[in-house]
Order: sequence, then C-alpha cells, then structure tokens
Amino acid sequence: MSKALDVDSVLTARRDYNTQLARVVGSRKRAVGTVLAILAVLAAFPLVQLSGINFNYPLHMLLLVFMYVTMASSWNILGGYAGYISLGHNVFFGIGGYFSGMIFVFWGISPFLTAPLAGLLASLIGFGVGLITLRVRGPSFIISTIALLMIFRILFDNWQFVGGTGGVTLPLIDLPVEWVKVPYYYAFLAIAVLTVVVSYKIKHSKFGLGLRAISQDEVKAESAGIDTRMYKVIAFAISAFFVGMVGAIWGDYLNYIRPNIFLIILIAANIVLMAILGGKGTVAGPIVGTILLIAFNEAVVAYFGATQLNILGTGVLMLLVLLYFPNGVVGSLARAGNLPRFLDWD
Amino acid sequence: MPLLLEVKDLVAGYGRGPAILEETHLAVEPGKVQCLIGPNGAGKSTLLRAVSGLLPPRSGEIWFKGKRIDGLPPHAVLQLGICFIPQERGLFPRMSVRENLRMGGFILRDRTELDRRIDDVLQQFPVLRERTSQRAGSLSGGEQQMLSMARTLILRPELIMLDEPSLGLAPKVVRQMYDIIHILKERGMSILLVEQNAVVGLSNADWGCVLDLGKTLFEGPACEILADPRIQELYLGKAQTAA
Amino acid sequence: MATALLQVSILGLALGGVYALMASGLTLIFGVMRIVNLAHPIFIICGAFVAYWLFRLYGIDPIVAMPIAAALLFAIGIVVYKLIFQRDAQNPKYSEMTVLLTFGVALVFDGLLAYWFSNTQRVTLPSYATDAIFIDDIFIPTAQLYAGLVSLVVIAALWAFLQFTRTGYAIRATTQNRSAAQLMGVDVAHVSLITFGIGLALAGAAGALVSFVFSFFPAKHWEWIAILMSLIVLGGMGKLLGAVVGAFLLSLIAAYVGYFAGQTWSTLTFFLALFIILLIRPQGLFGEKLEET
Repeated sequence: MSKALDVDSVLTARRDYNTQLARVVGSRKRAVGTVLAILAVLAAFPLVQLSGINFNYPLHMLLLVFMYVTMASSWNILGGYAGYISLGHNVFFGIGGYFSGMIFVFWGISPFLTAPLAGLLASLIGFGVGLITLRVRGPSFIISTIALLMIFRILFDNWQFVGGTGGVTLPLIDLPVEWVKVPYYYAFLAIAVLTVVVSYKIKHSKFGLGLRAISQDEVKAESAGIDTRMYKVIAFAISAFFVGMVGAIWGDYLNYIRPNIFLIILIAANIVLMAILGGKGTVAGPIVGTILLIAFNEAVVAYFGATQLNILGTGVLMLLVLLYFPNGVVGSLARAGNLPRFLDWD
Repeated sequence: MPLLLEVKDLVAGYGRGPAILEETHLAVEPGKVQCLIGPNGAGKSTLLRAVSGLLPPRSGEIWFKGKRIDGLPPHAVLQLGICFIPQERGLFPRMSVRENLRMGGFILRDRTELDRRIDDVLQQFPVLRERTSQRAGSLSGGEQQMLSMARTLILRPELIMLDEPSLGLAPKVVRQMYDIIHILKERGMSILLVEQNAVVGLSNADWGCVLDLGKTLFEGPACEILADPRIQELYLGKAQTAA
Repeated sequence: MATALLQVSILGLALGGVYALMASGLTLIFGVMRIVNLAHPIFIICGAFVAYWLFRLYGIDPIVAMPIAAALLFAIGIVVYKLIFQRDAQNPKYSEMTVLLTFGVALVFDGLLAYWFSNTQRVTLPSYATDAIFIDDIFIPTAQLYAGLVSLVVIAALWAFLQFTRTGYAIRATTQNRSAAQLMGVDVAHVSLITFGIGLALAGAAGALVSFVFSFFPAKHWEWIAILMSLIVLGGMGKLLGAVVGAFLLSLIAAYVGYFAGQTWSTLTFFLALFIILLIRPQGLFGEKLEET
C-alpha cells in the first residue's frame, strides 16, 4: 500500500515545516522616566535630616538595600545570565573590605578612594580563580566557590597581621551624628546604580547574548564559536568587582573589619536568594528580590525578635521560591505578560 | 493476521519543544522484520522511544497485542514483551559482559533460570564467551552491538526494536549483525528497526516504512520501497542501485 | 621521627576511613540522581546528635547507636526526597537549581538543629573516646582507630551490597546508564528514592562515628561540605571507589601537613587540593572526561 505523493510536494512540505519552527521576538520601549524619578527621590532623601527628626534608621535600611542590590545584581551576571551559581560570592566582599580597611589603618587613605582598587583586586582574584574553576561544566564550580569562601575565612581567622578572629578597628569619620551615614548612603547608591547600569548593558550586548547561550546549552554555544571559558571567567571577574567595592565601603561604615562580618555563609545565601526571589537572569529581578527579602527580614525580626531563626527562615524561603516560584517575581510576571514597564529591562 | 504493534495518531516531542511526530501511524505484523527509513529529524528514533516508554507521547494511542501501552514506563513495557535497543546500545560500560547479560534478565526473578539462559546465550556467541569478565565499555563497536543483541535473547521478547543497529560498524560486522537478526526472526521474534542506511535496512527487511515530516508517508514490501524511483530520489540519492 | 611519621600515617588513614564513609553516601546519591547534595554534612551532624543524645540520656554506645541513626536518617531521607526532589526526578541532569534546593535543605536543618541544640561544641564521650593503645612507641587514640575500622566494615558491606544484591545491580545500572536501566526493567524512580534514603542512612551512620571523633556543632557542616566535596571531586564524581581512595589520600596528606605545619594548614589542604585537582585533572582520579551526563 504505497501512498501516492510526488517529490515536489514533499520538498515543499519539508520547507514549510522548518520555517514554522522559527519565532519572531518583538521590541518594547523602556520606562526611563519612572526610574529617573525614583533616583531623584532617593538622591534627595538624606535632606530629611535637616528636619531635625532622626532618620538614621531609614537611611541605614536604604543603604543596606543599595549594598545588597549591588551584590545581588553582580551575582546575577554570572549566576543569572550564564547560569553558573556562586555560593560563596561574599568572599569578594571580604577581600574588598580587608584590602581597603588595612590600607586605611596603615596609610590613612579613606576607603572611599581605595574602593575601586579593592574592586579591582577582587576582580583579579576572581579572574584567576575562574580560570581554574570554570574550565569544566558541571558541579565543580559551585563546589569551588564554597571552598574559596572557606579558604579565605580560615586565612583571615588565623592571620594575626589583620587581627585574626578579632579583626581590626578602623578610624572614624569626624562628622556630626545626623550626617555620619550620608556619605555612605551616596557611595552605596552610586555603586548600586553603576552596577545595575552595567548589568543592563551586559544583558543587551553580544557578551550577554553569549552568556545566555551558555546558560541554555553550553555545548552548542561552544560549537557556535563562543569561547565559553573566557566568557564565564570575565563574567565572574566583573561580578567580583562591584562586590569588592561595596566590601570596602561597608568595612568603613561599620568601623571595623572581622571575618564573621564578611565571610559568613548566611550572606552568600542571602545574595543568592535575593537574585532568585526577584528573578535571576533579569535586570530588575535582583533589585526587587533585595527589597523584598530585606523587608521580610526586618518584619520577622520585629515580630519574632530572635535571629536564631534567621538561617531556618532563609532556608525555608529558598525552598519555597525554588519549588514553586523558580522564575522569581520579575520572571513570573514576565511570563504571565503582566510585567509593569518600569520593571521591564530585559 | 492480528497486528502485533499498532500506533495511531501519535503526537510526541521533547520537553516543551515542537512536536516531532504529528499523528503518526504505524503497524507491525508479527513474525516480520520491518524497517523504518527517513531523513534526520523525521522522528524515527522518537517513534521507537515513544513505544518503549522512554518518551511519553502527547496524544495518540499505542497498542501492543491488543493492550494500550502509551504512557507506560519503560519497565512495564518490557514486562509486556517489547525490548528496545537504543542507538547508543544501552550497555553498562563499567559492568562486565556477564553482568550486562545478567542485567538483561533483570526482571527474571529465578536466579538459576537466569544463569542457565546466560550460559545458553554465551554458547551462541563465542566472541562474548571469550570476554565474559571484560568491561562492556572496552569492547569494540561490533562486540557491543553483539552484546546488546545477545542480551535481548535472555528475555526472548516478542518484539525487538533496534535504533540504527548498523551505526558505526564495519560492513562485515553489519553482515554478522543482520544474520543474528534473521536468526531472531526464525525463533519467532518480530523486529522493528530504524536504519539511516536505508539500502542495508530495506534489503534485510520484509516490510518498509518511510517516515518524514513527522508522518508515515510511504509503506509497503521492503523490496518494492527499495526499487521505487520516488523513494530513490528523495531518500536514497538519485541513480542509486540497491545493494 | 620514623615513629612519629608512622603514627601520623595511622591517624591519617583512620580518619580517611571516616571521611570515606562520610563521602560514600554523597557519591552514591550523585551517581544515581546527579544531585550534589550540599545538605549531606548537616545530615551527618543529625546522626551525630542522635548518637550523642542516645549516649547522654541512655548510655548507648555510639557504635551501637549507628544502626539507629542510620535507620532514622533513612526515614528522613525518604521524606525529604518525596517532598522536595521527586518532582524534578524525571530527567536528572546535574542542574544548578537542584544544588540550590539541597542548599536550602541544608539551611533548614542547620537552623533547626541550632535552634534546638544551639551551637555549643559537643562530643560524645564513651570510655574509648579519650583512651589510646600503645604499640611499641606508637600512640593510637582508640576513638579514631575504632571509628576507622568500623567505617571500613561499613564501606565493605556497602560494596558487597552493590556488587551482589539485585538492588545493588539496579543502583549500579542506574548510575552507569539510566535509560538503559529503564529498558532493562529497572524502576528508576524507585531506585532514586531508595538510594537517597541509603545515602542519608550512610550519613547518619557516619555521624554516629563522627560524634566521638570530632567535636561538632550545627554550623560545622559548612566546613565539611567543602571537605567532602573536595574528596569526591578528587575521586571522580559518582565513583564510590574514587571517593574512598580520595578520602584516604587526602586525609593522609592532611595529616602530614598538620604534623609539619599545624592544624590550620591541615584543614586548608582539602580546599587547596580541590583547586589543584581542578587545575590539572578536573575529572578526578577515576572520573571520565567531565561533562554533564
């Protein structure tokens, strides 16, 4: 029983079948105005201190948010765009903090000035480590990031020159109490804006496209001619840079540097959770995730007091997000077609 | 003659990707060797995987000996009497030849019977008998194919499905392999095979089927398909002579 | 000097046995399900707490408590797997999301244990915990010695189970070629579930031993994550033999380093070894060319 078909119709059918597999993506306009308005408000906010009422707590919360936005967005460059999860990313936080902190102690140069150098140092270390650990696909990278964190934790705990577990106190800035937080506020805000802009630029560049290809199918990306190893290493180095910078500023803000401020696993967990909760791989996701998580943490502490449950809470939240909400806020809204324009930067 | 295997309106694809098979039909009569040919991406392997249970179909029906089997997991399909040898041969590389044969009879609970059948099979395949303790991963391509086919004899299934059995093998080894397939047919087993090398496949089969664009386009006695000029132009390259 | 080195070697090997047991469950789970179980060490600590409290409250010797800890952890393993990992079990490829899931599980159990038992250092103290035997000039603490020997027995039993039982065959087949195992009639979903339970049972058993060899507290699992991961990367992920050899090798090296350079460097050895392996032979000693399977 042969079916009667001629050669031409088969060939035409084959061509049509292949073309229908292609899909076309549209383009959108960006909500730049909304973002600039928000930034203007944030830039002007410290002026409330002129009112005489003490806004130090909100200032602190805001600069904390800016700092974590930086770290989560940086993490997102390798973790979200390329899909390579760093579970010890705050190692660069510590490196930056100690670098600038020690320079401050010895030569009196303010971390505000040395922060970019701290970032650069973190970046170089990230680059070097990445060359070793990003050579192969698979779980080795994730494991190595935890090991790296442990190595630096042990090193700093035992290095008497930097004070070991006790750490080192940094000189104080001489400013009246209502203005003492403000320089840090602006520093963190500036770094956060810079980081997010860089993140946006990367996402919409050929480099970012390559990273995304790597996250989808690294083998195909490699055979398409992308030097996957270099792309990953550079992404890792860039993501280390901003984290190193905020580390430098944070140490100065707290006025001391100690291993258990920078190098604890809870910070690493929080960075990852913020990026995922907001939507990893998106530009706005880490921002949303940071705000939500910090607000959530504050609410929990206000209600339950104890920070004992901090780790438990973070863990439960992480499980819930991963199991039921893996695309995060921004990702889920985007899929449902409901993403508000001011969050749509992808 | 009642059909051994019947596939109706099958739709299947991988993950959330497009459907590779679109309302595909297939009928296999018992006691025959049937060969599926077609271009890459047509869905030949997908069809076998769907029947074997490795790939759950999106819609459609698969009937085996009068029972519906679509959606059953692979181990259940095996219990019913269908054995599938995938393209990669499906061996356990770090297990020895003997252990691989033992895995072939995994669903046999009777250990003595299993051992007996293993010894039986080793008698028929002297090449394997010489290598019982050798790791399957270190065998040559032809020896691996032989091992995977020997494994099917342990269970004596009613239907054996083979995905590109001649892939990567030298012509002489391909010859040996098809001799084994003919022996299997003589023992009463039905064979459904997919071949990229359409000439070899069709010349060794009773019935042929052409799968293209996710559908069965042509079918008929294998020698007729082989000789049909349209088939020759589309799938065998122009001016091809049957080997 | 020779006696000192011999002593260090024996200690290193004994500890190696314990590390090997700690890593065995981890490597088994990875082999079958491609899950990098970052929560493995916290489950080891769960086992340690079980043994600790059984000893403190009822005087049960930790080695005797091993099967109890193992059984309890097996049950926990089944529950955790069904709740959290079974969904994604359809097509196990190593995936970052799964690793993060285990990370979340680790955080949850860390938080629970810290909340119930706080982070004070504990150690189980049966009589042999502080004893030692002397052979000529060599001083061997009985805690490490017994733990090492018992570990070897358990690992041998595990090996026999995998080699000779039908379930063992099913597990090995699933590890080596999952789809082929399915085609041979193995219910791989069931095998995955059982293996996760067995993996955690091994963690529990290891924990019981650990409870009198090391002092432990909930947060210590972060240190062990990095150590165990170094071991299995060194050995070649998913290979039981590799994990065992890696454990002995690294433990021995760490013992020597500890002897010559102090305890801190000893711990660092494991982490540095990880980077060295990734540099020169990323697939580990026994691994095949590394890629996601």
